[in-house]
Amino acid sequence: MKTETTVEKMLRWRLEQAGTEAPPAPRASRLLALARPWWELWPERARQLCDRLGRIEMAYGHAMERGGGSRTGYPVPALLLRGDAEIEASARLLYFTARDGELRLRFVLELPPEAAQPPEATWEVTFVEEGATPRFLAVAALSVEREYRIEASLPPALAAGWAGLKVTDRMPFRFILGPAPAKE
Amino acid sequence: MHFPSIASTPPPPWPVILGGLHRAARPPETMSEPGTAGTGSAADAAPLSQTRQRICAALDAGDAATARQLLAGAVAEFPAIRFVESWLSFWDASAWPDAWLIAAVRRDPPDEPALDALAERHWRNLFARCQLLTLDRDKAADLAQDAWCRILRARHGLRVDGNFPAYLATIATNLWRDRYRAERRAGGMADARLLSLDAAQRTDDGEGSFLGDLLPDLDALAASEQARLKLDIDQALERLAPVLRDVLVARFLGGESCAEIGRRYGRTEQTVSGWVRQGVQEIRAFFQETGRFTPPNPSP
Repeated sequence: MKTETTVEKMLRWRLEQAGTEAPPAPRASRLLALARPWWELWPERARQLCDRLGRIEMAYGHAMERGGGSRTGYPVPALLLRGDAEIEASARLLYFTARDGELRLRFVLELPPEAAQPPEATWEVTFVEEGATPRFLAVAALSVEREYRIEASLPPALAAGWAGLKVTDRMPFRFILGPAPAKE
Repeated sequence: MHFPSIASTPPPPWPVILGGLHRAARPPETMSEPGTAGTGSAADAAPLSQTRQRICAALDAGDAATARQLLAGAVAEFPAIRFVESWLSFWDASAWPDAWLIAAVRRDPPDEPALDALAERHWRNLFARCQLLTLDRDKAADLAQDAWCRILRARHGLRVDGNFPAYLATIATNLWRDRYRAERRAGGMADARLLSLDAAQRTDDGEGSFLGDLLPDLDALAASEQARLKLDIDQALERLAPVLRDVLVARFLGGESCAEIGRRYGRTEQTVSGWVRQGVQEIRAFFQETGRFTPPNPSP
């Protein structure tokens, strides 16, 4: 018996076959363990980085004073992880809203001259709250020139607290940027 | 001896039907009426219909723990609802609609039974899609799992009213695409194969190319032939440039239009249409080369 078989039909048949051969679905506990953020997987490393990030604030105190009166807002102390190097920098916020649990943020990285290089296409940004606690992870994508953009849903616990923030406010977080030291 | 007619026999009371499971078991239709509840439980405070509404509201909000508490309270007072069809779906998370499961997974911490049910429900299709992209069982399982991890990390933004399986497939496809791009950057794939895609191929007979003169009815094949065909399809897909494989899977299995695929790649609809034709042509050429499934001459 023969029928007219299109590539679409053949691919659908193969898809169906693959489905029947699927291994068991992973358990929720495993998925949740795999999805844990890097600071939970490596708490000691997280503590070290957050400590260092906390110290940057002192070095950038003057810049923060200057930034307070500007249109764009305070610089946010940032620690860049580039390869094995940890680079102290700051991120100047250009735009910030956290309405309805949706974070929209644009920033420009201000790097020390010795660390300047073509901008990375993306950063994984860890938001570290006052008290050196990593709270939230989002991907920042390069948009124009050296400007990065983040659009992400906030955890409910942060959404309420950040909802009233304006770009000109001093932000209650700092950044760790880089490929997080996670297995991915 | 007098036997009453069946028609005139009143139905047995609910406690009898239920085997006397509960002293106060009442017909479900009376349970929702105000004033029929007993005293001393959460369910007593409100009519059963209100409890039901509260359970639904909790599940809508993703508060599975509260929903279970309310349910347990209602059942303690009205065991009969265990047997009422409209209450059955509350018991088992695998019977919940995606919207309830997603809402429960969005919470902090996510509800594990809900996540189990959601993963189980969509795993098979997700794995199959990953299998066609990676053409490797282990890689497909890893990719599917990584897609789930990506979703869980951003779970607060999940939409309860969205098309969740499509979203899962998109995340998996994006991850796979990122990986092959990274491999290409690392020199693992031939750039020439990808560069040639910029030229739309217009020499074949289009998306729906018939293999009818090559392939027999797939469902009518013997098991060994089906196994052979699976390998051949995988080989044919493997020979395609990753972009073509992605485009064919997106077009034929994901149901995306050429325009939608084009937006993702920053190319025109016409270019993507050319990619689809090229992919179809290459698969067809593969089967012509192998000749394995050329049907035999018709029986006399």
